[in-house]
Amino acid sequence: MVQYFSNAFHYDHPWANVQMGMWQKYPNPQCAHVISVDVLNRSVDPQTGIIRTERLLGCKQAAPAWAVKFLGGTADAYVREVSFVDPHSKTTTIHSVNLSLSDYLTVVEKITYVPSIAFPKTRTTFRQTAEIQARPKLWTSVGAKIELMSLDRFKQNAIRGKEGFEGVLRKLFGEDNTQEA
Amino acid sequence: MAHSLKPECTPLKHKYDACFNAWFEGYLSPVLADQAEPDRTRALQEKREEYDRTCGKVWEAYRGCLSGALTQKGLDDLLQQAREENPLLEPESAEARR
Repeated sequence: MVQYFSNAFHYDHPWANVQMGMWQKYPNPQCAHVISVDVLNRSVDPQTGIIRTERLLGCKQAAPAWAVKFLGGTADAYVREVSFVDPHSKTTTIHSVNLSLSDYLTVVEKITYVPSIAFPKTRTTFRQTAEIQARPKLWTSVGAKIELMSLDRFKQNAIRGKEGFEGVLRKLFGEDNTQEA
Repeated sequence: MAHSLKPECTPLKHKYDACFNAWFEGYLSPVLADQAEPDRTRALQEKREEYDRTCGKVWEAYRGCLSGALTQKGLDDLLQQAREENPLLEPESAEARR
């Protein structure tokens, strides 16, 4: 019993700008209302130049309030996020998983940002997948219900996250690029 | 820029973020991305040194400030568990992502 979600769209900003924006505000559907962001580890690979960053995102609990109460969770939820930014291949991959309530439910999200094939200099393709799975600890029928509710929440936040991030990019780099050039 | 989970560390975190962001902008400059070997390795080495030189101190200060905060919030066990399940030391291959 796993719920899947996938999504793809583009940002009308060059890959490098999207990456710079990412550190300032990153649209994580698991963390629509960010309270805190901390960098736990960061390294630059001497051979490949890939930057690995492990961050801890604190957010207002994304699970439905009744579920949090039922499972004995807290108001704040935390997400571990590991990203790899490869400046050479211009590929960013981000993996995030919830830490809070993870005994009951895991939401694994994977994101990639690459330059668009059609407009590599001005447009960035975003791909996102999520796997939402209730753990055996959770009573089956309740588990199924929570999986579906989490999926709904994730979908809503994915849309909000895209809109929010577009706003940040506009603020940082001006209006979206036009596609002539 | 977002706050730290430990409020006292937020000023240091902002300082570190600002340092990293400035460095990162240069790091992604087309010059570095498009250089051929062996210039690329040399440029990469220089950028790594520049990062340590300019952001190393504030990074250590921020890290020091944060220490203990995870334990206090009961997050270190959860984090350890997540790291054991999936260390994520390297990017997953393109095949694995599909």
